[in-house]
Amino acid sequence: MSAELDQKLEALTDETLAKGLAVFREHLKEAEAGFLNACVRCGLCADSCHYHRAEPRLENVPGRKLDHIASVFRAHYTTFGRVAPGLVGAKRFDRDMARAWVDAVFGRCSLCGRCSLNCTIGIPMPALFRAARRALGAMGLVPDDLQANVENSLRHGNNMAIEREEWVETLEWIEEELQAETGDPQARIPVDKQGARCLFTVNPREAKFFPLSLQASAKVFWAAKEDWTLASEAGWDLTNYALFTCEDDQAAAIVKNLTDAMTRLGCEVLVIGECGHGYQSARWMGPEWLKSAFPFPVVSILELMDQYLDEGRIQVDPTKNTQPVTLHDPCNLVRHGGISEPQRRVLRRAVNTFTEMAPRGIENYCCGGGGGQLAMSEYRNRRLKAGRMKADQIRATGAKVVAAPCHNCIDQLSELNKEYQLKVHIKTVAELVAAALVPPTSTPSSTPTFAEAQP
Amino acid sequence: MGSLVFNGQVVALNEEGFLVEPGLWNEDLARVLAREEEGLETLDEEHWAVIRFIRAHFEEKQGAPMVRAVCKGTGLRLQRIYDLFPSGPAKGACKLAGLPKPDGCV
Repeated sequence: MSAELDQKLEALTDETLAKGLAVFREHLKEAEAGFLNACVRCGLCADSCHYHRAEPRLENVPGRKLDHIASVFRAHYTTFGRVAPGLVGAKRFDRDMARAWVDAVFGRCSLCGRCSLNCTIGIPMPALFRAARRALGAMGLVPDDLQANVENSLRHGNNMAIEREEWVETLEWIEEELQAETGDPQARIPVDKQGARCLFTVNPREAKFFPLSLQASAKVFWAAKEDWTLASEAGWDLTNYALFTCEDDQAAAIVKNLTDAMTRLGCEVLVIGECGHGYQSARWMGPEWLKSAFPFPVVSILELMDQYLDEGRIQVDPTKNTQPVTLHDPCNLVRHGGISEPQRRVLRRAVNTFTEMAPRGIENYCCGGGGGQLAMSEYRNRRLKAGRMKADQIRATGAKVVAAPCHNCIDQLSELNKEYQLKVHIKTVAELVAAALVPPTSTPSSTPTFAEAQP
Repeated sequence: MGSLVFNGQVVALNEEGFLVEPGLWNEDLARVLAREEEGLETLDEEHWAVIRFIRAHFEEKQGAPMVRAVCKGTGLRLQRIYDLFPSGPAKGACKLAGLPKPDGCV
């Protein structure tokens, strides 16, 4: 725990504790509250958690993390908890308990949900941990560097505080690089194109430090002759760190950047770049936060690439990717998001040898960087230790390339690569597709419609 | 919290090896950070061009520059930047230039 957070915990007043508790109760859905008394201590969650697998100790058992929360609920909101706390394991919400909550829900959990999937009862752990995170947020106990990302998004429209000119200049530069790569002076990265079919969104990390993945996505759109654009103003960043701080009003304000850009530019489809939490935020949580259904479809670029290949809009030559490839499953994209097969179909076509991790898909392990872990420096050592499961999985595949459709995971995997000396390359799926693309011919991609064919 | 010993003094690093006090930075300290944190025994002229550019940007604007600006300012190709700093522009180059850890998925 950081020194700042420790000081804040020491300075907690009874009023602040009461406020946190009230926020916790207010935002706990009744359907979730019922689960707070449902744990049967079977212990299956222990084996399912990457923290516990890497470091088997009581504090890393998901059921134990949940117990800190459940015991507070019992003490304050159940009759038996009030009259006979000792008998039912009820504990009042005090400074020590707040410290235990911070340690459990920020310091030992990436909200990956694997425990929930393997729970005998099906306790929705991430939802309950999120309620605790939200309460801690109301008490000012969110780790500073996690909150900084939210503040950047609220103030600057993106989580890295990139200015508009810097963003647009980077796009112009990548467009030149794309034209050089494809040899096509017409290869474009359209900015603010009114009425484009697809509004594409990216992770600011791509613009700031790693633009090759952005170039790869643009190359795929170019080959597919897609009608697409990026917004120059707020609405190009797909991230939403309020998913991790669990402050829903701020999350709503951030996701509104995307819906506003869709309206402003009159686009038909919101396309989320390769990102786990960004997809989860826009596709599933966004309408909840804004309390209205989106009047447009939200798709992952993985689904689009799958569709392009299926329809023959792009052609790939798998011999361009000769090294064996495995695939990481970002929790927010796969377990929470439901996007599992498109990326597999794409890889089977675009690479020579594709080897699955064990376990795979919704049962795959978290890389350790999710839930905002990557942004919380104070828990770095735990994060790397908890990543051992992922490192072992990668090594067991014998792959030389790890495809990771999430920039947050990519950064954690890069650290694991160094820490555990895996000697692999980590790439987005679009980078592998772009490398395998067969250049399109210059003929029109579709036959003229009846109306266009009329003289 | 981590730390390293530099000129007989203990310099505080955060858990990820970034300087806690960016104001303490100087080029000798950068050499120690390069060795301890990035595994680079020596820094050549290209490394220094990148580090000095990032540092100057930080001192002027209090943040990390876009990698576009680094390429433009140093005349180096993007791939060269990745080759020079194995941990990348953020966790490699910015760290050696004494910047705090950049926000975002890095």
